[in-house]
Amino acid sequence: MNIQVHREDLLKQIGYKEPPQPKLLKIVDEILGLMEDLVEPTQAFKEIQDEKDLPPFLMGAALKYSGAATLGPKLENRVKDLFDEGKPAEAYILDTAGSIVITKAGNILWGEIKQDAAAKGFKQGLRRTPGCQGIDLETQQWIFGKLADLDLGIKLTTSYMMFPRKSLSFLARFGGRLKGTFSCKGCPQYTDCTLRG
Amino acid sequence: MDIIKEIYEAVMEGKVDEASSRVQQALDSKVEVNEILNKGLIAAMDVVGEKFGEGELFIPQVLWSAKAMQGGMNLLKPNFSSKDLAEKGTVVIGTAKGDIHDIGKNLVAIMLEGSGFKVADLGVDVTPERFVEKAVEIKADVIAMSALLTTTMQSMGEVMSLIQAKKLPFKVIIGGAPVDQAFCQEIGADAYGMDAADGLRKVKGFLGR
Repeated sequence: MNIQVHREDLLKQIGYKEPPQPKLLKIVDEILGLMEDLVEPTQAFKEIQDEKDLPPFLMGAALKYSGAATLGPKLENRVKDLFDEGKPAEAYILDTAGSIVITKAGNILWGEIKQDAAAKGFKQGLRRTPGCQGIDLETQQWIFGKLADLDLGIKLTTSYMMFPRKSLSFLARFGGRLKGTFSCKGCPQYTDCTLRG
Repeated sequence: MDIIKEIYEAVMEGKVDEASSRVQQALDSKVEVNEILNKGLIAAMDVVGEKFGEGELFIPQVLWSAKAMQGGMNLLKPNFSSKDLAEKGTVVIGTAKGDIHDIGKNLVAIMLEGSGFKVADLGVDVTPERFVEKAVEIKADVIAMSALLTTTMQSMGEVMSLIQAKKLPFKVIIGGAPVDQAFCQEIGADAYGMDAADGLRKVKGFLGR
């Protein structure tokens, strides 16, 4: 899977609404040039057939999934190297580019799940990530238990964080009674966020 | 242009090599070390921090400026007495227990070092006990903690409990996406750093410099 990061998106993510000085543009372009070699996106999902021991978010759903994606370890290893080499600005920009890619990988994965659901007659669905909106972080164990045979290369720490860090996981549900919708308003960075335009 | 002004501008513009070469030039010309430090390096970094806070500069530029300042500081260090260095202050920094995210913490550490503080970076997934032990060991002035998740920020409260139970003198600053001023007050921390520049400003405020 080849996921592109556009220069404008990266600049916006690191705070720039106007074009920055040429020195920064040059570094941004160099970092974007590295992405293809540093990013190895892998993603997978599974339909959940069980009805027992479900996380509360999936209870009552007609169609249930768990999914995860990762960029692999190369990008964050390079970020660490850049910090160690005394190039923190470059490290920060590369890390931010990685965040953009993993977000896109998550959206692609969600698109694939929605396609699968649509083929089964479901149009409206909801996804949620452990640690957010009432889903305990412990649910990570349940998700990765379901995905265990897919060999995504993601490992959980004892506190349920994912390694590589540029990874994501979620639960998805279709049918049944859906509760809640996504809103930026609960975010602590709501007033300062540069991503809302 | 006078050499102090050149140092100031090199740091402002994040010119790492130029800042170092101008500091060396100033030292060779027998310019007072404190003048290089205060009117050149620190004055520039203060303005960089202000401009960052006002949204005029962004993180990459601040980091370059911090690196430029750090390079200059390294050249000045042999010329300071040990008393001068100790007066800058010592900060123990780390990501709270259970959390492995370190970008924000690394940025704050670089800005603190760039401003002349001695920084002991404990890394990620740092237990409350480790924060306190290290701070006692190196006689730190400040403990700085970062967390990215609501589930891990709770351990910041445990650090405060340890400090209060042992009546230790450390100032504590916290930061990270889920943390805010209300949480800071709830656990009894001394300050909340909204971002890296705000954190730096507040650490300087604690230490009166």
